[in-house]
Amino acid sequence: MMATRFRTTDGTIALVNLDAQIESLERQAARGRLLSRWSADLVDRLTLRGQILGCIADCERAAAMAERLACQASADGLAFLARARTRAWMHRFEEALADLDAAERLGTAGAEVEAERAAIFQAVGRYDEAMALRRAAVERRADFEALGALAALHSERGEIGAAEHWFGESRERFRGVSPFGLAQLDFQRGHMWQEQGDLGRAREWLTCAWRRLPAYAQAEGHLARVEAALGEREVAIPRLTRLAGASDDPDYASELAGILVQAGRPEEAGVWRARAGVRYGELVARHPAAFADHAAEFWLTVGGDPRRALSLAKQNFAVRQTPRAHALLSRAMLACKNEPAA
Amino acid sequence: MADHGAGPRSIANPEIDICDLHAFPSPEHPGNLVLAMNVCPFLPSAATLFSDAIDYRIRLRPVRVASTGRRAAFAVGEPERMFSFTFDVPRTLGGGRRVQSGICRAPSGEVPVTVGDERGTQSSGIRVFAGCRLDTFFVDQLFSGGIRLSRRLPEPTAINSTAGQNAMSFVVETDGAALFGAGAGPLVAIVAETTTRGSYRARQDRVGRPEIKNFIMMDKASDTVNRDLDVRDLYSEEDGFKLRPDYLGCYRARLNGSMAFYDALDGKTDWPLDEQGNHPLTELLLADFLVVDISKPFAEVSYFEIESAMLRGVPHQTCGGRWLNDDIVDTVFTLLVNNGNGPRISDGVDQTTAPASRTFPYLQPPNPNPPPLPALVGIPE
Repeated sequence: MMATRFRTTDGTIALVNLDAQIESLERQAARGRLLSRWSADLVDRLTLRGQILGCIADCERAAAMAERLACQASADGLAFLARARTRAWMHRFEEALADLDAAERLGTAGAEVEAERAAIFQAVGRYDEAMALRRAAVERRADFEALGALAALHSERGEIGAAEHWFGESRERFRGVSPFGLAQLDFQRGHMWQEQGDLGRAREWLTCAWRRLPAYAQAEGHLARVEAALGEREVAIPRLTRLAGASDDPDYASELAGILVQAGRPEEAGVWRARAGVRYGELVARHPAAFADHAAEFWLTVGGDPRRALSLAKQNFAVRQTPRAHALLSRAMLACKNEPAA
Repeated sequence: MADHGAGPRSIANPEIDICDLHAFPSPEHPGNLVLAMNVCPFLPSAATLFSDAIDYRIRLRPVRVASTGRRAAFAVGEPERMFSFTFDVPRTLGGGRRVQSGICRAPSGEVPVTVGDERGTQSSGIRVFAGCRLDTFFVDQLFSGGIRLSRRLPEPTAINSTAGQNAMSFVVETDGAALFGAGAGPLVAIVAETTTRGSYRARQDRVGRPEIKNFIMMDKASDTVNRDLDVRDLYSEEDGFKLRPDYLGCYRARLNGSMAFYDALDGKTDWPLDEQGNHPLTELLLADFLVVDISKPFAEVSYFEIESAMLRGVPHQTCGGRWLNDDIVDTVFTLLVNNGNGPRISDGVDQTTAPASRTFPYLQPPNPNPPPLPALVGIPE
């Protein structure tokens, strides 16, 4: 397995140090106003921790901080770049694009802004525009980040051969010791194979990501789904039970409920299903665009409320017309059509 | 800023960023040589751990003065000694407290080290420390960066831009005479490196003298060849004792242009260029290592004294190297701007918040509550 090729900092050390950096910046912020550069840095670090640990509270804190920063430092492009990132996380894509324009008007331009714009274009299904930016980035500098982003875009478009090629090229160009970027790349590659139904390859890359960074909740969650699909529910259930207990992201409770139903444990499934339902409700109320997609998937499947799913799927399709959003909407419509009359 | 964030790679990966290297005869134990290296500037605290994927190492070679005057140069010997620090994944003790252990591989043997243990470990004839400490560097960055920004000598603010910040530090104290044996000369050259561990090995950062990369190499404006290239990452990948010929022309052009700019700041020329446009300091500085005379006693102010004496064609008087409290910023600016033929060029900051002590581990304990990081100027986005 290629994972052994690169030695990166142990996942525990990397997370302890990320915590220490966040704590240092927060302590400094408590002593006086941080410069925009460091505030934006704090926003990025909190977002990274949130993404790795599956901690929505971290991402929400980062978003709130970015909103304040853009108000306080309204002449600083970095502040708008930071807010664009958090708004993209909340699927407020139009506002995020407007922030990127503002950042450029204020003099913050270049590869970082273009990469963010490409990510948003990709998220909303504007693939040709995203591809033009990703290719331009690779032309400028074919490094680990640029090639990884190009691979992820091909993957999203279903161009699996090209994606696999660029994932490999990206990995070849890895030169650092931080485990975060490499684990995220391997996760994306595993996710691609999972979507393609190649569970063997999916397991291989998801395991790489999870071993490199054992606290990487998303990687372990998807690995559990693959294990369950391969009939290894006895491995998947403890993984998901741990994740659902530790994370404030309801995806794990939802997934666990589904697998427990398959395993013939409906009572336990009911507990996790109820928990996920409440949490999706809270999150959709706070960040409707960001959670409409996953909440719709939940109500369409283990949540058992296709009408609610349809409403959310429509909401999701309104902000991004991707093949996945379209498929979700179609499934929800079909489920409602097939629903027995009350 | 010494070597803090000296290049895009170090800025993006603070764990590989060597921000300072010091080497000096022990003020506590005459005959001993002390080596200190700081990494990971700005955000560490007592909770911060060393990466287990990095080999943090200090390499030493014997050198001798090969020539003096305008073509002053060192001849670097082949024997090499190395102090290499590697670390394990931390253990969690009762109460959730984490303890990280490591090994210092020294010429005399392996010495275990516990991160943050102020007493250090004494074994195999050496004493070592590793852990978070107060950053040793001090500079008015609004002055130093302001020079690049305004293309003149601005008024110093006399505010230390690194005041109260922490770094992750290593200290090694060893018998100087035992390093290369009785037959070796007194001059020792020292470089610090961070490299990846394992089968794939790459040098991530490398530091010899302070401010080569930041004061001199960062400024593209006076380069007559490459005005759109940050050469510092390339330079950091090099072996400090033997630069590859591939990029030498690029480094020379950057140093020649940048140092000519500094020389012109006072309106007179103290460093006339040769017919090819070469600055007299270029070749000497591209031999980018600290040089210590281990036969001389400890000195508070000695940075670049050996090299300065070589340029003047006279014997050096001090141990050279670099003591922790030495005000190298003033020394470097005075050297570059007027070569000592004028007033001392000072940034108005003469020491850290808490100067280093004269006893092991020399560096001050970390500040538990650092102030907000300051504004920096004259640094590429």
